[in-house]
Amino acid sequence: MSGEFGDLPTGVIAQPDPVILPRADRLFATRASRLRHLSEGHPMADWLRFMAGLADAQHDAVAAVVAPAVAILPHTPPLDGPAHPRDPSWRRALARILVEPADPALPDQTRQVMAALRDRDPEPLAAAWLAGVVPATEAGPAMFVAAALQVYFAAVAATLPVGDIALLAQRGLCPVCGSAPVAGVITGAGKAPGTRYLHCGLCATAWNHVRVACIGCGESKSLTLQEIEGGNGAVMAETCDACMGYAKMLYQAKDMQVDPMADDLASLGLDILVGEAGWSRLAANPLVLAG
Amino acid sequence: MELNRRGFMRLSGAALAASSVGALGFGSSGEALASAVRPYKLARTTETRNTCTYCAVACGILIYSLGDGAKNSKATITHIEGDPDHPVNRGTLCPKGAALLDVVHSPTRVKYPMYRAAGESGFKRVSWDFALDRVAKLMKEDRDKNFIAKNAAGTTVNRWTTTGMLAASASSNETAFVTWKVARSFGMVVFDNQARV
Repeated sequence: MSGEFGDLPTGVIAQPDPVILPRADRLFATRASRLRHLSEGHPMADWLRFMAGLADAQHDAVAAVVAPAVAILPHTPPLDGPAHPRDPSWRRALARILVEPADPALPDQTRQVMAALRDRDPEPLAAAWLAGVVPATEAGPAMFVAAALQVYFAAVAATLPVGDIALLAQRGLCPVCGSAPVAGVITGAGKAPGTRYLHCGLCATAWNHVRVACIGCGESKSLTLQEIEGGNGAVMAETCDACMGYAKMLYQAKDMQVDPMADDLASLGLDILVGEAGWSRLAANPLVLAG
Repeated sequence: MELNRRGFMRLSGAALAASSVGALGFGSSGEALASAVRPYKLARTTETRNTCTYCAVACGILIYSLGDGAKNSKATITHIEGDPDHPVNRGTLCPKGAALLDVVHSPTRVKYPMYRAAGESGFKRVSWDFALDRVAKLMKEDRDKNFIAKNAAGTTVNRWTTTGMLAASASSNETAFVTWKVARSFGMVVFDNQARV
């Protein structure tokens, strides 16, 4: 590529990759350490430390997953959440996650939920959760099922041939499993710094999405980035006055360590303020289902 | 009540208590969070997509501004960077483009037509009508004096080489077409605009 333009570098300004598959070997370990870091001095420190322990268990559970062969068809997410025939090994991942942590601070309610879920068939709850809706009485067990399904879908997504996966016409949904993103990351390094990747809440696949366009309705005229005053600009809620929805955007340029799931869990205070100001979150964090 | 992983949702202290956070016995954490954010307000930033004003390459830019968007408040532009999604420049800018923020806030930035009459020491603000009439008059004087209808060999060339024009960088096909037709209909050959790229 040299010669035509003298000694100027050419070909260094790369087009962003459309899809980046998760690295199942380090996804949950990175999240656990980020959660521990964010828990320091946090009003929800107990809960964030518990979630860090959950991410550790998820990391250990990855090895339990046996990835089935997956056909890739055009215009269809290959691991379409409710339709994908789950390999039964996901239940081994769940069993690993339900091993009670040796933490004396663990609330009794958590112990009870874990024990009850160990003794029942999790398939109906998993099917309901993947289809989108679970009864409010299942809020506790649904979180552990969701955590196990995250392990399963991330481990299977990691085995897919990335070049064969095309973005969906609905750019706001995951091209691998069709789920909603938990947050977006505006990259600060890598092949195409400054581009936006949405991170799937289920399979942790990242896919490119144009910036300054609402990921819910596509409108770009009435978007605003909002953060809690005095923040460092790393975690912003991108609010849209056209659909009155919002999603969180994480700016690596302000903090290279941001993790979509961990930083979302540690910034629920922003959700409270933005919700009170009138916007609704486009999709829940899979581990914090709320009404 | 049902919990939905796909649809819209709003989080509040009460919603947190009814969520998996409360169901697992961390409800007091949720209350602590709700009261911790109570004293705070939201700060607003806007990213706006635009085109660099300088040259016909027309690089995409993102303009960051602060302000609550209320009718009577004026937004302050705080930062300008290359648009990483723009196919022309993919986030990069040349030194002129990278200095756009300084142009925006420059005390010497020209915001309206200025005129310095012959013999006067400084510029004064004038109306657009005055400025356009003045430009038209000077263009006509110069064209009448220097227009070349035929070259030395007697071939009709109809060219006007003593006045040039530099036109917009962020124009549509239609604007570029009209600009081109206007400039060329004068016989103007020293001319650059978006249509060249």
